[in-house]
Amino acid sequence: MRVDLSPAVSPAVPPSLPPSLRPWSARRLLSAALATALFAVGTGCGGQFSGKARAPSAGEGAGVADGGAGEAAQGPVALAPSPMARLTSRQYQNVLDDIFGPARPVELQADTAPYLFTSIGASTEPLGEQGVQLIEEAAQQITGEIFADPARREALLGCAPTGPADDCVRAYLARLGLRAWRRPLDEAELSRWLSMSELLAEGDVWRGVQLATAGMLQAPAAVYRVELGEPDPEDPSRLLLTDYELASRLSFVLWNTGPDEALLQAAAEGRLRSPEGLRAEAQRLLADPRADEAMAGFFEQYLDLGRLDRAQPDPTTFPQFTPSLRSAMRAEVLLLVDQVVNREDGDLRGIFSNRRAFVNSELAAHYGLEAEGAGPITFVPLTLPPDSERAGILGLGAFLTMNAHAVDNSPTLRGKYVMERILCYSVPPPPADVSTDIAPATEAAPTLRARLAEHRENPECSGCHSLMDPPGLVFERFDPIGAWRDSEAGYPIDTTGELLGEPLSGPGELADRLADSDRIGPCVVQQLYRHAHGRLEAPEEAATLEALSAGFAADGHRFRGLLLSLVTHESFRAIAAPVEAR
Amino acid sequence: MSGLRDFSARRPLSRRALLRGVAGGAAVGLALPPLEAMFGRGAIADDSDLGPIFGVFFWANGLPWHAGHGASQGANSLGDYWTPATTGAGFAASELLAPLARHQVSVISGLEPKTEIPASPDGQSDGHMRGFMVSLTSDRPRSDGFDHPSHTLTALRPTLDQVIARDPRFYERFPSAYRSLELGVSTARFHDYGHWNAISYNGPDALNPPTLDPARLYDQLFGRDFGDPNLVRRARLLDAVLADASTLRGRLGAADRARLDDHMEHLYEIQRRLELSDIGCVPAGPAPASSGDLLVQTANMAELLAMGLACNITRVFSFMLTSPATTQIFSNLGVVSDMHTVCHAGDYAAVRAITAYQMEAFAVLLDALAAHTDPTGANLLDRALVYGASEYGEGYLHDTKEMPVVLAGGANGGLVRGVHAREAGGNLSKAHVTLMRALGLETPSFGFNGGETEDAFSELLA
Repeated sequence: MRVDLSPAVSPAVPPSLPPSLRPWSARRLLSAALATALFAVGTGCGGQFSGKARAPSAGEGAGVADGGAGEAAQGPVALAPSPMARLTSRQYQNVLDDIFGPARPVELQADTAPYLFTSIGASTEPLGEQGVQLIEEAAQQITGEIFADPARREALLGCAPTGPADDCVRAYLARLGLRAWRRPLDEAELSRWLSMSELLAEGDVWRGVQLATAGMLQAPAAVYRVELGEPDPEDPSRLLLTDYELASRLSFVLWNTGPDEALLQAAAEGRLRSPEGLRAEAQRLLADPRADEAMAGFFEQYLDLGRLDRAQPDPTTFPQFTPSLRSAMRAEVLLLVDQVVNREDGDLRGIFSNRRAFVNSELAAHYGLEAEGAGPITFVPLTLPPDSERAGILGLGAFLTMNAHAVDNSPTLRGKYVMERILCYSVPPPPADVSTDIAPATEAAPTLRARLAEHRENPECSGCHSLMDPPGLVFERFDPIGAWRDSEAGYPIDTTGELLGEPLSGPGELADRLADSDRIGPCVVQQLYRHAHGRLEAPEEAATLEALSAGFAADGHRFRGLLLSLVTHESFRAIAAPVEAR
Repeated sequence: MSGLRDFSARRPLSRRALLRGVAGGAAVGLALPPLEAMFGRGAIADDSDLGPIFGVFFWANGLPWHAGHGASQGANSLGDYWTPATTGAGFAASELLAPLARHQVSVISGLEPKTEIPASPDGQSDGHMRGFMVSLTSDRPRSDGFDHPSHTLTALRPTLDQVIARDPRFYERFPSAYRSLELGVSTARFHDYGHWNAISYNGPDALNPPTLDPARLYDQLFGRDFGDPNLVRRARLLDAVLADASTLRGRLGAADRARLDDHMEHLYEIQRRLELSDIGCVPAGPAPASSGDLLVQTANMAELLAMGLACNITRVFSFMLTSPATTQIFSNLGVVSDMHTVCHAGDYAAVRAITAYQMEAFAVLLDALAAHTDPTGANLLDRALVYGASEYGEGYLHDTKEMPVVLAGGANGGLVRGVHAREAGGNLSKAHVTLMRALGLETPSFGFNGGETEDAFSELLA
């Protein structure tokens, strides 16, 4: 239980630091001119897929930078406008848990994940009227529950109020503001909420305090991550986040919840203004299990695991695909990520290529692996042979199942995932007026590979399918729920394929190719940047992404190192001045 | 129950009193309050009516394809099972319209979107997005993001349900607790990357996600303990929330300010609703249990909706049976793959069976409206205009010719029932002009970005 509204901590008032303490020196950054040398698949695929350069268009994002070198240049980081994000439903719930401890979960408007990430949904999709009403009801529900219990409400306040706006209530509301609004309240705000407590108490002190609490939980400062910034004395064209805003950003990225007391204290003392102070707090947060949980959330979104939840293998064909098998498939991916990212702090590309696995008894049986000690809820680590065809997450049930159809495999979907999710190429959808049905099996074309031949032969299809199908065909050894198969309808399995025109013998070779791919790093950087900033990267931020990518590669593709670089990079604290600010 | 007539708008109906007053009927019944309890004594004359109701019924993946959609679709079809053979009044229902025949729906056939298709990025002609947006907004989809692997689908403007719900000519005469309600049945969705989970928009990116759970809908409609003084306190609390928002508003840039304005508008609506403690409309039973059977769930949601409409809790709704490009598996019909895949795979028989089933569900919604009367004695389906629409003409090649359009109900006397109007190649926006005029909303023209029209189907206007 984490009831962090301890009365022992005084409401923090930020000491006023002279603005000249701004610690950010201009960094040597890759030239923004390189923004035009971005690599993505042109629309229509054009039959060429060799990293043809094209200029990014507005709203498209920067694509993925080539892993190659760029010439260094000096100058301030180019910034893009950052929309005011609301908390995701998960974040709002986490903040309630931080403040009140365990309580009945509240119902909130479901998060959506445009461009994969709920943080982007939270910065682009406003709440509907029902979404706002759910927050109103949630605030009433949780405060109703806490304040109905004399022990809990007194513990929350830490003092015994004698009136609805006495010193006890004042101190409490100030502390509540610091946690729920993630900054100190100013005097006008505190007075407003004390007045509400007084007005609505109607003879019952606790009622007044409960309602004031419920109101503050609905205020924009609680529902949104307000980032107004303050002038940058060295550069009037931009703003810097305030200490509290920076603490908040740091905490939501690394913990998926608001700052704790220690981080608020660091903000109050101005410690986040120095690179060392910021790094120290980031490292403290990263060492906390909450960071592991938040990063699991990032990987679930980046790897698109939500699609596993909605995969619908035909129950008649695959009766063994049980709800518990589905859950285990999700768990094993996150265990492998945890191993590489948190336990080994190793090369992130290992999640696509290493020969490790974590299986429970159901998965072991499903894959036909020996796993001593595995049980229904006990996952054990396995080391697979170095030439294993099951390698990384591409050998696991989640990837294989969510990229298959109800009865049949889909080399196209599997290849599309490899190209788009892992390598960050963009493959356009099929033209609107083209039939996408696949010919039925015949004696001449008995296998899916043979039936997909039209994808490669029909010029209307081949431009794109020649990019997707060949890397997807290497997985034909695995059935639509990821089990090994020795033959397809009595015919031998052919696992050959291609990645960008280079021949592959099977999934093992694809994994080995990915192990030292120079595209994965920039791709992960792009995805993490979107997740952390809650928006697509703007073209002018290409230099920032390239700098982060270069650092990531130089640091051996350690993801935790990348996180530290991300949050200590100038782009994390400096923001563009809002358009038409009043 | 006659004693309830003593209650007035100033003395709210107690929910508990009403529950006590209702005989223990089976399942969910409804105790309708007298008019003066809903609107205040003397607010409306005895002989006045409560105005029209507008609803959208949406089903996914259009119709089974036929030659009207194109030569290749015709070659792969068994014929047109949707379009009635004759036009005008008294047409004989086609196979797929048969379930709706008992409610004498009117049908418009032959229409298609006329909005422009921007040259880039690619993909904007796709029926899922273009047909869907033109069906519901009379405008094309927003172009941004079409070149992303997980691009969002979004509207450029509010959908018809919101256009009508926010039209003061529509709601000001008898304000209801909710300007609109958004309901849904199937929980399957194409993907989570954004915007395939709703059919109602307030504007770009501003979705109104549907309520999918009968218990939640029940709470929305009937969950307040009428007369509870705490509701008024909760309303007053929002004054302070709004004051905080006003202070912040002045410090924001234009885009963020617009978002906060939307939020504040929602707060005002919620506040108004908390203060409306005099709508004493109480069901005599608990919320129905949620069901995975689409027809049962449709009946659950439709029955609650009808009770809410009878009490004037709302007069506008959208009802999303299945979401665009639905991945619902109709295993009850013996179909193994999800519907979107089935369409792509060209499984005509399955799409024909699923469409017939979706029309059965549409009929179940209309049944519920037809089974209820409001306190003036008016039948809800007679008052309603329910616009039945889908995202494209057919799903095999995503063609947007021959879009399905159903206009059900009597629009409070504004719509001629049981008529088939046909205009091959006609502008889909013309259906929207027709339905708005049928609702009594003067509409000189409608449609955007190439879809503009001043025309309506006059044979449908009473």
